[in-house]
Amino acid sequence: MNVPSPKKDLMIVNMGPQHPSMHGVLRLIVTLDGEDVIDCEPILGYLHRGMEKIGENRTIIQYLPYVTRWDYLATMFTEAITVNGPEQLGNIQVPKRASYIRVILLELSRIASHLLWLGPFMADIGAQTPFFYIFRERELVYDLFEAATGMRMMHNFFRIGGVAADLPHGWIDKCLDFCDYFLTRVTEYQKLITRNPIFLERVEGVGIVGAEEAINWGLSGPMLRASGVQWDLRKVDHYESYDEFDWEVPWQKEGDSLARYLVRIGEMTESIKIIQQALERIPGGPYENLETRHFDRERDPEWDDFEYRFISKKTSPTFELPKQELYVRVEAPKGELGIFLIGDQSSFPWRWKIRPPGFINLQILPQLIKRMKLADIMTILGSIDIIMGEVDR
Amino acid sequence: STAVILYVYGYNYLRSQCAYDVAPGGLLASVYHLTRIEYGIDQPEEVCIKVFAPRKKPRIPSVFWVWKSADFQERESYDMLGISYDKHPRLKRILMPESWIGWPLRKDYIAPNFYEIQDAH
Repeated sequence: MNVPSPKKDLMIVNMGPQHPSMHGVLRLIVTLDGEDVIDCEPILGYLHRGMEKIGENRTIIQYLPYVTRWDYLATMFTEAITVNGPEQLGNIQVPKRASYIRVILLELSRIASHLLWLGPFMADIGAQTPFFYIFRERELVYDLFEAATGMRMMHNFFRIGGVAADLPHGWIDKCLDFCDYFLTRVTEYQKLITRNPIFLERVEGVGIVGAEEAINWGLSGPMLRASGVQWDLRKVDHYESYDEFDWEVPWQKEGDSLARYLVRIGEMTESIKIIQQALERIPGGPYENLETRHFDRERDPEWDDFEYRFISKKTSPTFELPKQELYVRVEAPKGELGIFLIGDQSSFPWRWKIRPPGFINLQILPQLIKRMKLADIMTILGSIDIIMGEVDR
Repeated sequence: STAVILYVYGYNYLRSQCAYDVAPGGLLASVYHLTRIEYGIDQPEEVCIKVFAPRKKPRIPSVFWVWKSADFQERESYDMLGISYDKHPRLKRILMPESWIGWPLRKDYIAPNFYEIQDAH
């Protein structure tokens, strides 16, 4: 009765929805034994806005402002995929110039997203300085976006069949200046961070994912490429004129957080290469396929009758999604962003399923965290690069 | 069982698992997109599998033990549409609060306390 049994008391700590770092509202219930982590359970849903259900009641043009709110750091990708879906369903060709503009903006958005990944990642590890440096670069990207699209972050720029407006005069020169400036900045980050022994101690060997495991867990993006799997949708799927540029896919073999960091820095340099090549070779021509605005179906004359005035708003003729289903995908900076679109023969989709990269990359968190110390949780969570806007939608 | 056959064929990447309802009052479908990830592939082959379940008691065996990436995605299909997956380790609501009643993404779902402003007659 009085024999003390050596039972460990496990402490359950709640890393609540509000963080000091910018990952968003993610709640982790962590079971600790001293400082080793035994288990962790992520609880999502604090930012769930019902984007999928809303999508079933909006036309594509009406839905475009919503999509930038999924991944609010790399907004062009969400717009690109929203527009790519109906384009591929309806077999709509995108003019060359629009495709090049899209590629340039997408790669700028990728750089912006990786920069804002780097800041909180370093801030979680403890280095506060890069956080300010990245915002300096991100402000330049915001200025470029504002000149081209009109909004700094939530641009409503892509349309079915191209982009909404052409690039302003002199934008290309400004963008080339930015590319040259940014290459010097990347070398500055490399000097500051990559060979820093404190950083390497924190980050090397932390959160290792093997290649087979990564594929089984459905990871995508830099997490997959850091584990040795050379899978980049831009090369594999051949979409949006990425084939015309000469660039490599950065990848590493180890699968720890340091490998993910190196893959993302490599992706930033590759993006600069793509942007420079695209800017030099951008063709003239139209920037939007105006055939998509040509509707030749007759409106039902019964609803134009006098009796039906106050029933509801009648939709103006919009792009009708054919009755097919399609899975479109895009290589977002966080991973593979996908839309499974089931079209009805009406302007609203029947089902608009978003395959968010952050949601699927987050599944591996409880497994990666076991047997790590408490301080490594933030490193691993930071290196997975989630953003709650798309995890919860 | 079908899943194991496909896995044996080499489709090792479950890209996306989603669910939708086919017609209001009809069946519910659970869709799996699979691809084969290999080195140096161009235009990989993909397979899309749909499993239909009746609306009253939708139960589908979970593929979590074959492709672990179905973990959160099946929880989300359960949460949004009510399809319960057998042998899933933690089938709880993931996006909605735990005490929510109802399956939001079904077409016959009525959002509680949601009154739209309509055009007055």
